[in-house]
Order: sequence, then C-alpha cells, then structure tokens
Amino acid sequence: MTKRDISICVNGKWYELAVEPYETLLDVLRNRMGLTGTKSGCAKGECGACTVNIDGKAILSCLTLAVQVDGKEILTIEGLPKGAELHPLQEAFVKRAAVQCGYCTPGMIMNAKALLDHNSNPSEKEVRKTLSSNLCRCTGYERPVKAILDAATIMRGKDER
Amino acid sequence: MKEGFFRPREYHRPNNLQEATWLLSSFGKRAKLIAGGTDLLVNKPPKVECLIDVESLDLNYIRKDGDGIRIGAATTLDLIERSPMFSAGPYVVLSEAASNMATPTVRNMATIGGNICNASPAADLPLALMVLDSTVKIYGLGGSRVLPIGEFFEDVNKTALDEDELLVEVYIPPSPAGTGASFLKLRRHQTAIDLAVVNVAAKLTCSDNFCEDARIALGAVAKRPIYAEKAKSLLTGKRLDGKLIQDAAKVASQEAKPIDDIRGSAQYRRRMVAVLVKRALELSITRCET
Repeated sequence: MTKRDISICVNGKWYELAVEPYETLLDVLRNRMGLTGTKSGCAKGECGACTVNIDGKAILSCLTLAVQVDGKEILTIEGLPKGAELHPLQEAFVKRAAVQCGYCTPGMIMNAKALLDHNSNPSEKEVRKTLSSNLCRCTGYERPVKAILDAATIMRGKDER
Repeated sequence: MKEGFFRPREYHRPNNLQEATWLLSSFGKRAKLIAGGTDLLVNKPPKVECLIDVESLDLNYIRKDGDGIRIGAATTLDLIERSPMFSAGPYVVLSEAASNMATPTVRNMATIGGNICNASPAADLPLALMVLDSTVKIYGLGGSRVLPIGEFFEDVNKTALDEDELLVEVYIPPSPAGTGASFLKLRRHQTAIDLAVVNVAAKLTCSDNFCEDARIALGAVAKRPIYAEKAKSLLTGKRLDGKLIQDAAKVASQEAKPIDDIRGSAQYRRRMVAVLVKRALELSITRCET
C-alpha cells in the first residue's frame, strides 16, 4: 500500500497526514481526527448523515476520498460554534426541539449551513428540497424545517446590524 | 491484498489528458477514473489498483459554442440544474433530468460524465442528451474521436470506451425553432432518491401542430437507453392530435424490452412507458409554441 501525504484544512486549522488511497474523508474525520460529530449512516450516499461542507458546498464525506480533498477547506459540525456560543442553526435546532434521536442532526445542520451561505432568505420549499438529502428515521422534518427558517431570519438580522 | 475489498494502491491526479490516457493504458482494467465518486465509492469494485482523478483536467465547464453548448465531462449536476443555458427552449429537458436525479447533495458531487460512463440502463441524463442529438468527445492514445451519444452505450454498465480512453465533453447542437422537449421519471415513490422504474425524454419540432421532427428516448426498459424509432417515424410528417399521440405512445411501449426486477414488473414498465411517453409528448407540444 502506498500512503499519500495530504494537507487539509479542518474547521480552520491545517493538518498534514498520510492516508491510504481508499480511505474516505468520513473515516479520516472520525477515526483519525476524533471528530465523531459527522455520522456514518448508510455509507452509500443515501442518508446524508455524513454531510460536511467542502469549500462552502454540502458534500457527502462517505463518498469522498481523503486524497481527493488535498488542499481543501472542510467544515464539520464541530467547527460551527464560536467558543461556547452555538451557531444560530444549532441554537434554532435546540429551541425548536428539532432533534429526536439526533443521529441525522449534524448532517441536516451542515446541509442547511451550505444552503444559508448561498441563500440567506430561502423559502420553506427550498428548505424542504435541501432536506430531501437527509434521511430522518424518526421522521421529524417539521421542526428542522422551522428551525432552519428561524436561523435564516436570525442570521439575516445579524448581517444587517 | 484481500480479495473482494476496494483497496486501490495508487492514486493519481493527472494535469493533462495525455497523462490521463497514459495512466489508463498502462493500468488497463486495473485502473478506474474517479470524479464525484457517487457511483464508484458506492460500488467499491475490488481489483482496482489505481484511481485516476479527473479533478485537474479542467473538464468542469458549460459554455456556448456558436449556437450549440459544450459541457465538460466533470461538470457537476447542480451546475447543470441551475445553469441559465438549460432554463429555456428544448434545453430544459437536461435540467429536468438533472434535477430529478438522486438528492441535492449527491448532485453537488455527481458529474455528467460519470452518469454517462456508468452506463446504467436507468440513467437519467443520457435520455435528455439523446433527444437533443448530443455527441460525446472521447480522448485516447490515438487522439480524440466523436460519437453520437446513442452509440456510446453498448450494454449494462458497458460503453464504447476503450481501456485507454476517457469521455471529455458533451456537445449539444442547436435545435430548430419551434422545438420543445421534456423529461419524465417514474419512481416507486416520488421521493427524491430512487432510481427510475421508467424514465422518458421526448423532443418535438412542430409548426402549426404539424410534426416536422421527433425524438423519444426510453430508460430502464432495456440493457441500455434506447430510442423509440418506430414511434418517431409514426409522428414525423403528421398533424399532431390526441389519437396520434396515443398511438405513438403505444408503439413506443412495444419497442421497450423491460425486465422484471425489484422496482417493477416488465408488464407494468411497458404500460408505464405508454403513459410517460404520452405525457412527455403532450408537454413537449406545449413547449413548441414559444
């Protein structure tokens, strides 16, 4: 096996590591960096639990090889809070109790983060379309939709100030 | 190396096409191209020793060329879905096919070239490209060649690519005025993620309800995406009315050669071909009028 040296920026910090060509970004995040907020669901690109942001886009880390993201910026759920202060999306999910078992939540939030980065005022329809990438086995979609719309409102308010 | 596991030993990210074809020809069947990874890393084929990443080949573009459109093979589906180039005229058929595929997150990763080269009988984009008379540009050791997309698919997951070749570009030629096209897809549940039970693309060129030209492409009903040639002949040169559309849809369903599988029986599929072709033709007619 030939390991390759890569450098990746995870949550604002650059890391150098040697990876096998078949290692997924998901495995590297969870097993080598201890960032277990990103979940492994189906490992087939169907459930969205492993969603992270790469260069501002929602990407499935289970279908991305670590070698492919050499030189790129990756944001995971662990990178959202500023110190002790939760991100408005996280805050809104807590306030709306938009969590049941919680397994799909990091993927939903990272998907919503990419949406709001590109569209600060999404319609409910656009939010629902975005969430069609994320499977919630507890079937709780109503509250995440409301939480994301709440967060969008709060984030727009912050921008205007 | 353990048998049966996806354990490539090498990863290359060539900077130009020559280097890519050289790698492909030296590794042969042991090499696999990787773009979005949304097929390769789901299938994780064993016995792959070398991955060749297309990321640095500059194949991520949508550009106008005269009255036609060129799309780089590594262009992701979200860009096709949102591109103003595919928001009007018969070209909407391509954004319809793209936006009906998989989930938004998968579409951020999956590429047009990957969807074509995976050669799934149920693939969505090839049908839209087929009715638009698209051609594909192939690059190999001997230089490049161009094929009509309908000739690119040979069998289930089998394309016309030789071992040293890769798909680099799709070209969509201009369509005459008065042309409308549409894409429809039937899933077991109309949720975002499932593959097609049946998918259909249609294109009509008409003036005063007189059909000057037609294309119908059918998916998930044969070993590869197919044209409904007899239905096309039936329509061409005739005045379009409800009866003719109905007859064409029936003829198209007879041209389908579906199988029974987990998504539906052959009989159901054949019936649904008639329904989808009828609706796709009706929708295409309404789009001819502009």
